[in-house]
This record gives sequence, structure tokens and C-alpha cells, in this order.
Amino acid sequence: MPFWLIILTIVLPWSGAIIVWSVGDHRPQIQHRLALLFSGLAGLCALLLIPLTSDAAAIRLPFGAAAFGDLTFIPDSLGVLLAVIATVIGSLTVLFSNGYMQGEKSLGRYYALVLLFIGSMVGLVLSGSLFFLFLFWEMTALCSYALIAFHSDNPQAVRGGMTALLITQLGGVGLLAGVLAIYAWLGSFDIPTFLAEGGSLPGPVLAAVGFTFLLAAATKSAQFPFHTWLPGAMEAPTPVSALIHAATMVNAGVYLLVRFYPALAGIPGWTTAVILIGLITALMGSLMALTTYDLKRTLAYSTISQLGVMVVAVGVGGIFASQFHLASHALFKALLFLGAGAVIHQVGTRDMRQMGGLWRTMPLVANCFVIGAAALAGVPLLNGFWSKELILETALHNGYPWVYLTLVLTAGLTAAYAVRMVWWVFVGWRTEQFQLLDPGFQVAQFKGIGEALDPVTDSPAPATVHSGSPHPSPQFPFHAPLVILALGTLLSWLIAGEMGHWLAQTLPFHNLHVLPTLELVAEITLNEATLLALMVTAAGMVIWWWRGRILWVWYWFRPLRQAARHDFGFTWLNDRIVTDVKGFAAAWQLTQTGQLNWNMAGIVMALLVILLIIFNW
Amino acid sequence: MILTLSLTVVGLILIGLYGLLAVRNLFKLIITLQILVKGAVLALVIAGETSGRLQLGQSLAVTVIVADTVVAVIALALAVQLKQQSGTVDVGRLDTLKG
Repeated sequence: MPFWLIILTIVLPWSGAIIVWSVGDHRPQIQHRLALLFSGLAGLCALLLIPLTSDAAAIRLPFGAAAFGDLTFIPDSLGVLLAVIATVIGSLTVLFSNGYMQGEKSLGRYYALVLLFIGSMVGLVLSGSLFFLFLFWEMTALCSYALIAFHSDNPQAVRGGMTALLITQLGGVGLLAGVLAIYAWLGSFDIPTFLAEGGSLPGPVLAAVGFTFLLAAATKSAQFPFHTWLPGAMEAPTPVSALIHAATMVNAGVYLLVRFYPALAGIPGWTTAVILIGLITALMGSLMALTTYDLKRTLAYSTISQLGVMVVAVGVGGIFASQFHLASHALFKALLFLGAGAVIHQVGTRDMRQMGGLWRTMPLVANCFVIGAAALAGVPLLNGFWSKELILETALHNGYPWVYLTLVLTAGLTAAYAVRMVWWVFVGWRTEQFQLLDPGFQVAQFKGIGEALDPVTDSPAPATVHSGSPHPSPQFPFHAPLVILALGTLLSWLIAGEMGHWLAQTLPFHNLHVLPTLELVAEITLNEATLLALMVTAAGMVIWWWRGRILWVWYWFRPLRQAARHDFGFTWLNDRIVTDVKGFAAAWQLTQTGQLNWNMAGIVMALLVILLIIFNW
Repeated sequence: MILTLSLTVVGLILIGLYGLLAVRNLFKLIITLQILVKGAVLALVIAGETSGRLQLGQSLAVTVIVADTVVAVIALALAVQLKQQSGTVDVGRLDTLKG
């Protein structure tokens, strides 16, 4: 039974991709329906896998022959959890796309890539073979690239796609190097074998594996210093951002760390490196989210920051906490992105300063968005609150007070930008009116001090950021996915205890700390750590509310804000590296003479060198 | 016998390689390539004979002959097109791939 379910979960989206593509773009309605059908069926199969988890391989296909080992799929709870997230949120975003992508050209390409991605993601998380894990890993990167650059007539989209591809390829090479090192020492690509016998590897080799895997995870999950590709990825159609760049693919890095945690945690310095990378990312992401004016970029920075929190959770040993937060984050961030998609669709711009007051015109979207933002901020009783507090508590409990304090600071900043986002989009007025009307925003009062202190106007003039293409239809049926995700955000924490128990059952190498839901709730609510975090969260919200009265704080942090707005210089660094590589390549252009005889001479010389090497050995 | 054949193989491949380095006429270049590949085909047969798997060597040789014929036909067709388009078959003057 698990055999067929796994096969179906992967093959259904893939065959759907081929079928939707071959239907042809002249029948868009059929394409919409077919994509929904196939992704929905895959989601159903993934859900049916939940009670059938086991830690033994359910499928063993001799695809790899002698060289690469069998293609195995292990339906353990960690893999099934991510497969369910990928397929269920995948089908919800396809449902959303049915309206959002109405009237777009090349729908076949769009749906084919989305479905290909869903299948690859399921393969990635269920694969029991390191080699095929790498293969699926690269397939998801390819789909991500092609979907970011979906509007291929927009140079920014193409650029964003290329950046994403280059950076994730760097990680892909790291992953491949780690996988090959494991194979060279253990003679097997089998993941359980590595988890069981990883300790028998020589120290330096294991360390190399650990850090190459960390590189792969950092690039895939947009962690410091490789986070620059995710904001650029926001050129993708919004449902794609929700699915790939918030709920699923970017989690693959966290998944990799969690999957191999038992084997890698013993490497000296590895957990510290993981914690540091996660912490820096979490803090930087929330600072950048606080300074950008693009709604989707705010969400992208927020995703970076939340992924950092998950990575920290892995580093401090909170495997269950990180997975719980991953699931919560997938729900509320997909909700936020789809809500943002509905807003952008309506307004036609991504600049938050040109929105405002949308509560009245789109109340349902506003309510759902507020639920998502509250979960992001960590407002009690929503899923984000429980998972974030669990991470904080785990950090404190496992003896990392400094990690706890930094995360609390991040939580405060998160609350601040969540309120800022909701305020600007749904409550406030457009900025130009807002400056005149908001009584809390007393710029004139501070004019005497010297510089212009206005936190809003020290930015470049509000340029209209157009979402990929103008969408003709003003309204579309986006309610169902939003409502489902909002309900998930409200209620999913109720099954946290069961989820932990279920996760612990089939992960023999991980040592999970799980409790029933009620005890979990008691443990979190009765902890001083939670109280402090809640106070800081509330302070973060109030700070945004009272920003007019505490302008001196804005003044003090002006250099920090400027740095955050410019991505802390990392985009510049990326551009510099690309320029230098191009220069280096241009220097080698001399070797291309275009002369056939010269090229042949080069080939013959190389042949001679190879022959010499072979015969000398 | 094997020795004679082996020397023939070496001779054919050396002639082929020299031709690829020195010949500038595209048609002659294709013929040179044929000579080189014939050396390789002969080498396959010899390898089959010496390893005791002559059938394998022979079937591979036949496969290479078929593939190589296709290569030659397409190359000649392209060369004719090139001659018509650019008026020259001198590979020294066909350097549009110069970096």
C-alpha cells in the first residue's frame, strides 16, 4: 500500500505536468482544471501516507544499477510531513493560481513546472538514497529557476532566476561533494546506513561532509551569507512565491540539516556554526523586513528570518521544535503570500506605500492576512506562537541563553514588521495622505533638531513596482485557499502533541523531545521564557504603533536602517563576484582562436598528456 | 599477424591525427577523419581477437562503421552548404567562432 501511494504522490504530479503541457495553451480552462486535479490527487495520496509511516524502505527500484545503488523511498514521518506540506499547500496554490493566472500566456509551462516541482519535492524528502536525494534537490532548483524567470520578457525576473540558480547550484555542488565523500568511505548511498555508521568515518571526512551539507542547506534555505537570492526570487508569480519560496523548497535546507543531524551533530563546531548562521540570518532578515517597502520583499525577508529561526532550532537540538515551526511557518507564510497575491492582483503594485485602507474593499483577505501576520508575530493561541515559543524554550533549556536572547530580540522585530505590514496595506492611508493625517506621526515637531528625521521619507521616492504583468480581472475566487490556510494557522497547534509522537515513532536515529499537546501547552505557558518573549513581542508591536513618539530611536538607528535597506552590502558583493568571474572568463577568451587545426592540436596534446599519465602509472 | 595489424592501426591513427592538425581543406579533413576512424575500427577487431571475444569486437566495429558513415554523410552535406554560403572550404578562414 505505501508502495503505490509513494509512487502516485510523485508520478501523479509529473504525469500531470506532461498532460497539462500537451493540452496546449489554447485551452486554458482545461489546463486549470487538470492541474488542480493532479495536484489535488497527489495531496490526497500524501495525506493517506500519514498513518502508514515506517522507517524501512517501502520501495526499492534498481534504477541506479551497480554504480549508484538502488533508488529507495523511505516513508518515515519526517519525509511524509514535508511531502504533505508540499502537496497540500501545492494544491492550494494551484487552486489559487486558477484565478490568479487567469488570462496569462504560457499557462502550460507554468503548471507543468509547478507540478514538476511538487513531484520533485516529494521525491526529495522521501528518497532514501543520497544520490537520488541530490538528483531531486537539483530538480527543485531547476523548477525554482524556471518559475522565477517565468515572465521571461522582464529582465529583472530573468536576473532573479539566474541569481537563484547560481547560488543554489553552489550549494548543490557542496551537497554532491558531501554525498560523494560519504560514498567513497562507506561504499553506499543509503541514508540509514550513513546515519547508523556515520560515526565510523574519519573525523576530517565527517567534518567535510557536515560543512558541505551546511553549505547546501544555507544556500537552499537562503541563510546568511547566501540569502540574497530569495528577495530577487519575488519576481516569480505570487502563487509560486507562496509555494516554492515560502512553504516548501526553502525548507529543503532545514530538512537536510534535520535529516542528517544524528550523524553530524558530533562534529566539533558544527552545531555552533549552525546556530550562528541561523541567528545572524534571523536577525538580519527581520531588520531588512523592517526597512523595505515592497510587500513581497517584506515577506521574503521574513521568510529568510523565520528559516534562520528553524536553523537555530536544529542547532540547539530542538528537532521537533524546528519541524513544528516549519509546519506552522509553511501554513502562515503561504497564507500571507496568497493574501499578498490577492492584494497585488487588486492594486496592481507591490509598493506598500501605495496601498492602505484595503480593509474596507477586501475584508476577507484582510482578515486572513491579519491571522497570518499575527501568527508570524507570535500572538498567543496561533500556531506560530506555540512553535516559536517552543524553540525559545528549547534554546534556554539546552543551555544557550545568548541564543534565547537574540531570538527574543528577533521576535520583537518580527512583531514590529508584521504590524507595519498590516498597517500599511490594510489599515493606514496611502503614505502621502498618511503623513498629513496620522496624529502619531509628528514630523514637524522634530524639524528643529537638524536633519530630516522622517523614517518614511528618507527613502527614494515611491517608485511603482509592477507585479509581472497587469491582471485584467479585478476579482477572482481566491477565498477557498485563504480560508483553509487561515483555519490551519488557527488550529494546527492543537495536534502538535500527536504530531510529535508521530514524528518520534519512525525516526530511530533522532532523539525527539515530545509531549502531549496539553503538557506542551502547560510547559510553554508556565515558562518565564515565554513571558519575556511575549513582552518583547508586545513591545515590538507598540514600537511600530508609537513610532511617531519615539522618533529619536529611529534617528539613533539610522545607519543600521540604511545598511538594512541596502541588504547589508551582500547584493553588492554578489554583483562584484559575478563581474570578476566575467572578467576572468574574458581574459581566457584569447584561447578561442576559431582555428580548427589549433583546436585539434589542443585535443591531441591533451590526449598525449593523458596517455603519459596512464602509462607512467 | 596481430603485430602487423597493430602497426597498421597506429599508422592509420597517426595519419589521421596529422591530417587533422595540418589539412586545411574541409573535404580533405573529412576524409582524414575517415582514415582515423578506420584505424579505430581495426583496433576494435584486434581487441576482440586478443581478448577472446571476437564477436563483441566485430559487432562494435560494424556499429562504428554505421555511425561513422552517418557522420561522414552529414559532414559532407554541411561542407557543401558551407561552400555555397561562404565560398570557401579553407578551415583557416572559417574562424567565426573566434572568441
